[in-house]
Amino acid sequence: MISSSNFTYQPNEHEAEKASSGYLMSLVALIVGLPIPIINLFATFFFYVANKNGTYFVRWHTTQALLSQLSLVFINSYGFWWTISIIFGDESVSNNYISYLAVVLIFNITEFIATIYSAVQTRKGIHIHWWLYGDITDIICKPGNGQNSI
Amino acid sequence: MDKIVFRLLALVGFFFASLWAVNQVNWMEMFGVKENISSTEQKIGELFWEFYSKNNEEVFEDDIVLPMDSLLSKICTSNGINREEINFHIINKNEVNAFALPNRHLVIYTGLIAQVKNEAELSGVIGHEIAHIEMDHVMKKLVKEIGLAVVITMTSGNGNSQVLIESLKTLTSSAYDRSLEEDADLKSADYLMEADIDPMPFADFLYTLGGENAEMEEYMSWISTHPYSKERAEEIIHYCQDKIYQKESVLDSTSWKQLKKAVEEL
Repeated sequence: MISSSNFTYQPNEHEAEKASSGYLMSLVALIVGLPIPIINLFATFFFYVANKNGTYFVRWHTTQALLSQLSLVFINSYGFWWTISIIFGDESVSNNYISYLAVVLIFNITEFIATIYSAVQTRKGIHIHWWLYGDITDIICKPGNGQNSI
Repeated sequence: MDKIVFRLLALVGFFFASLWAVNQVNWMEMFGVKENISSTEQKIGELFWEFYSKNNEEVFEDDIVLPMDSLLSKICTSNGINREEINFHIINKNEVNAFALPNRHLVIYTGLIAQVKNEAELSGVIGHEIAHIEMDHVMKKLVKEIGLAVVITMTSGNGNSQVLIESLKTLTSSAYDRSLEEDADLKSADYLMEADIDPMPFADFLYTLGGENAEMEEYMSWISTHPYSKERAEEIIHYCQDKIYQKESVLDSTSWKQLKKAVEEL
């Protein structure tokens, strides 16, 4: 699901740190944002915007960190509003609800582990390519002019 | 691009396949969810009823209890509801009121029995309150109005009496959401039709009390706590107009007259 490969160039120390921070940002936001899932998307998005003009390595990884949040935002939001409708609305706790929460938990833990791994590896300057999100990032994120280094 | 679409579909497919697989486990049974909910409701119900019964006079006269029990039993047995599980109470009060409390307590005031014109109207109100019980509206309202934390505190025995009084007031004298009231109305109409009781008098009851007698509002708790009565009456009429059902009496005219007389003499 996650593979490491050679990036088009060897990122320097500063780039590796910034790219790694992209994942850490999504990680922290994931924890904070669990009760209100849209928060993690916002936090990662702002970090992405802040680094939009960064080097290719930084941009690539902040983009992948942002994209990897998207599916969780939908999944977590649905679970969040389902819970709200159980507490305040007409819904009741059901087998479907508990099953959904269990799957949401599994997906969140997977994302959590994958994000920590990516942050650590990226910090070492190793290029981490996620399944699906890495492919989309390849399409979105192209090397810019003179942005191969700081 | 094809690879991305394929992988996206695979991810979505994997999510739903996981959901399906996890759903094969009976989590409700494993965690005893129903038992926990039922135990919480039971504790709260006992707490409420203990407090409420101390401050109100319950009626035990056979002339009142027996015919009322016949109406309740007829609705329950015709709709597959266990009559024994419903804790039915008649309270001696002039207010036109009826309400449900947690743990399947159904309370009707003598003022309401005095106000209705026939048994079908009374059955409609009973059916409406049974619907709130059966559709789990009571606990939902409680949690919504006073909060889950307070409900849990009450069950642990740490709630103070002021909270208890306020919660009780909420359940006895404030309305459910309009949608819940409408659901309970239509469910009541279903119950009545299954029991061969005409639901139209129930609609008439709502319509009449919602309009002409507004000046008697202080005695009309059931109406003031059940707003939009006219609209709801129309909804019931609309819902039942194409339905085929029998119209039979549960009580003979003597029992009905005795009931009305006994209530007036209280």
